Amino acid sequence: MAGWSEKILDIDLSKKTYKTYPLDMEMARLFIGGRGLGARLLWEMVGPEVDPLSPENVLIFTNGPLTGTGYQTSNRFSVSTKSPLTGTVLDANSGGFWGMQFKKAGYDVMIVRGKAERPVWIEIKNDEITFHDASELWGMRVFAVTQKLGQNNNKRNVLCIGPAGENLSRIASIMNDRERALARGGPGAVMGSKNLKAIVVEGKERPAINDPERFKFLLYETRKLLAASPLTSQALPEFGTVVLMNIMNNIGALATRNHQQTQFEGAEAISGEELTEKYLVKNASCWACPIGCTRISKTEKVEGEGPEFESTWAFGAQCGIDDLPAIIEANTLCNDLGLDTISAGSTIACAMELSEKGYMDSDLRFGRADQLAPTIEAMAYRKDVGADLADGSLRLATKYGHTELSMSAKGMEMPAYDPRGMQGQGLLYATSNRGGCHMRGNMVGPEVLGLPKMIDRFQVQGKSSFVILHQNVSAAIDSLVVCKFTNMGVSDEYFARVLSSVTGIQYDTGELTRVGERVWNLERMYNLREGFTRKDDTLPPRLLNDAPTDGPSKGWVVQLEPMLKEYYRGRGWDENGVPKPKKLADLGLAGL
Amino acid sequence: MPFVKLYANLRKLAGTKEVPITEATIGAVLNELVKRNPPLEDVILENGRLRPHIVVTLNGHNVIDFNMQVSEQDVIAIFPPIAGG
Amino acid sequence: MIDQRIYEMFCEIGRDLYEGNMISSHGGNLSVRLGDRVVIKRRGAQLGRLKPHDLIETRLDKNDSGVALASTELLVHRTVYLNTPALAICHCHPRTAIAFSLSRDELVPIDNEASYLLKKVPVVTEEFASGTPQMAHKVAEALKNYKIIMLRGHGSFATGQTLDEAFHWSSTLEESCQIELAVKQINEPFIEYRKMSESYNKF
Repeated sequence: MAGWSEKILDIDLSKKTYKTYPLDMEMARLFIGGRGLGARLLWEMVGPEVDPLSPENVLIFTNGPLTGTGYQTSNRFSVSTKSPLTGTVLDANSGGFWGMQFKKAGYDVMIVRGKAERPVWIEIKNDEITFHDASELWGMRVFAVTQKLGQNNNKRNVLCIGPAGENLSRIASIMNDRERALARGGPGAVMGSKNLKAIVVEGKERPAINDPERFKFLLYETRKLLAASPLTSQALPEFGTVVLMNIMNNIGALATRNHQQTQFEGAEAISGEELTEKYLVKNASCWACPIGCTRISKTEKVEGEGPEFESTWAFGAQCGIDDLPAIIEANTLCNDLGLDTISAGSTIACAMELSEKGYMDSDLRFGRADQLAPTIEAMAYRKDVGADLADGSLRLATKYGHTELSMSAKGMEMPAYDPRGMQGQGLLYATSNRGGCHMRGNMVGPEVLGLPKMIDRFQVQGKSSFVILHQNVSAAIDSLVVCKFTNMGVSDEYFARVLSSVTGIQYDTGELTRVGERVWNLERMYNLREGFTRKDDTLPPRLLNDAPTDGPSKGWVVQLEPMLKEYYRGRGWDENGVPKPKKLADLGLAGL
Repeated sequence: MPFVKLYANLRKLAGTKEVPITEATIGAVLNELVKRNPPLEDVILENGRLRPHIVVTLNGHNVIDFNMQVSEQDVIAIFPPIAGG
Repeated sequence: MIDQRIYEMFCEIGRDLYEGNMISSHGGNLSVRLGDRVVIKRRGAQLGRLKPHDLIETRLDKNDSGVALASTELLVHRTVYLNTPALAICHCHPRTAIAFSLSRDELVPIDNEASYLLKKVPVVTEEFASGTPQMAHKVAEALKNYKIIMLRGHGSFATGQTLDEAFHWSSTLEESCQIELAVKQINEPFIEYRKMSESYNKF
């Protein structure tokens, strides 16, 4: 069938063997690829008895049928695993070039099982799979390894972990193409626990396209729409995602100093406008992307990709720091060490609050830009105070007797949007299957930017419908796999049609959204099987009880209870948040 | 005195980040703003109404009613279409 | 209790529809989905002059409002919500679009804005064009793949995340049809200005 390669590469690191076998196309039809397919395979392969850092956990790298076709942003890919940070189902999603190359190598899925006796790296050149000794690479940082293994533009692409993953930091990322990241939930630690340093791909195949004429037409229309939308043709290329800093601050929804406030007096100093004016070298893009939201920034000490809005916030407002060069350097350092910037920044912020309040004995303090780099280093190597921080804010705060000071949901640090200023976002964080995450249904569109239209961010009634829709659509896009920024210029109707033109299977917009709903429910079932319950669909007490005392969000806390009740009903789940049998049957998940 | 804060590419168009403007309503403020900074007009307004995806806030709260009153301490912020993740 | 902001949105869009000549005094309907419930205008109310008691809230799968609703249309709205990702529905009677629906199986805009936003608007047809399960099903099926469709001779159904989004499609369609009507009256050779426009009807 066109689009898919229809092949799975299954690697056993313990035995240093591999095999390939066909992808179950009925499964592919229902789950498409990327996050959806990854979750479906994970469901079968990793149960509640498996420790995420044990050899029994797996890493499932997935493409989608659109990957590598040349459709705009068809470069993204996914990794699925059980998260060592949260214990939930995890998928992490990245851009760049590696995913496209992996598709060219001829596979939809790569399963990595077991644990190598000694550090290895894997080289994939279509049918040639080679295990290499990585003992000389072990200990090397990401930039050096990427270069050493021959990273070359769109011809040979390197995916690897840095020291943080090697040291099993539960917030370690997997990096690809030097500075792209499969960041959240600690997939880097899983890879490190398997003694797998890197996976390098080179490929020659191109995916087949079922209806090239229709595909060409949709490609053209998408190009037109992306060029016409000021979001994708002006805002993102010119200012990058950091352009959100000022608006989030203006409306009082920018989490500050470990969510103690909702506005940061230093927001302007760390804004997209400031970055563009003073530190931007140029913008850049992933493969087949006309948008170009990537920043290339330069300070006196570093030059590299980023920072994104979230990274800038995590080391900025969340830590009370307004020193943009220090933040840029922190971001680059995280990329080189292989650490998730959001979790790293928010964990440091948590430590800052614990220390300032005397619960923890360290000199970390809000506003101390000079403390960022040394602390990040220490975290990657589990040295000194880094040993406490390396596994995220929840374990840190619990150790020092103040769990409530970890700004996380299900153990994953929440990003920049303070939900006391955005009710829907609060519901999103509380119900997101991989934990406190904004990319699984970001409500910034409707609640802040008016995309597609503005809705009242403080309104509670009916909000759950939006969250459900955005969660479903995000899950579908994550399964195609394309970049969500395309969705800012082009509606979901196009994705369904592109998918149909590529694969030959007729998906309509409704069916595509249903795929997303199916993936969401499967992930939910996974978490329930792991022992998560309704009581885990919650937020830190600060967000439920402590209203900001000034700013536009003054007096507001997250009204989670009524939204959650409405959410469960809207999803067809019972009052404990368990999908009802009818819902599962409707989605073709009855067998689970 | 109330003032208008501009963001992203609006700053380049207006040549400034902030414009103090004293008018009674949001509508009057916007009209005065584009009168003083003609390059802003096509970007912000279309037939006297806000262009799609322009966000105007009054003290951090979204505004669409041009008749809304503006007082002395008020801060009006205007954002062109922007996005992020 | 229906949130005041939701009520205000209904009033605004209702008034825009009436004043934009997109409905008659008592025609058309608007609804939104709130989780597993629906808010919709009651039978006999005027969209252009809504009062608070004109909006009814009921369960999605059956009417538990205690009020006899405009059951002819509630079924359609409900079926659409159960079968599509819609969060809001705008059903109105755009005159020129209705006129074209009487002679065409699909409306393919020729003006820039509508060909950009809509590409193609299918026309579905049903003998009893009001309130039967067959009609509800047909409309819902078509709305699974298009954000606005025409029910021949009757009117348009548009979906969106919000009422103003659904209204946006409705208004764009009517404008587009009025432009096409004017083109017919002008009756001069059409100069194609859009690349690949021959593919629009295959959207």
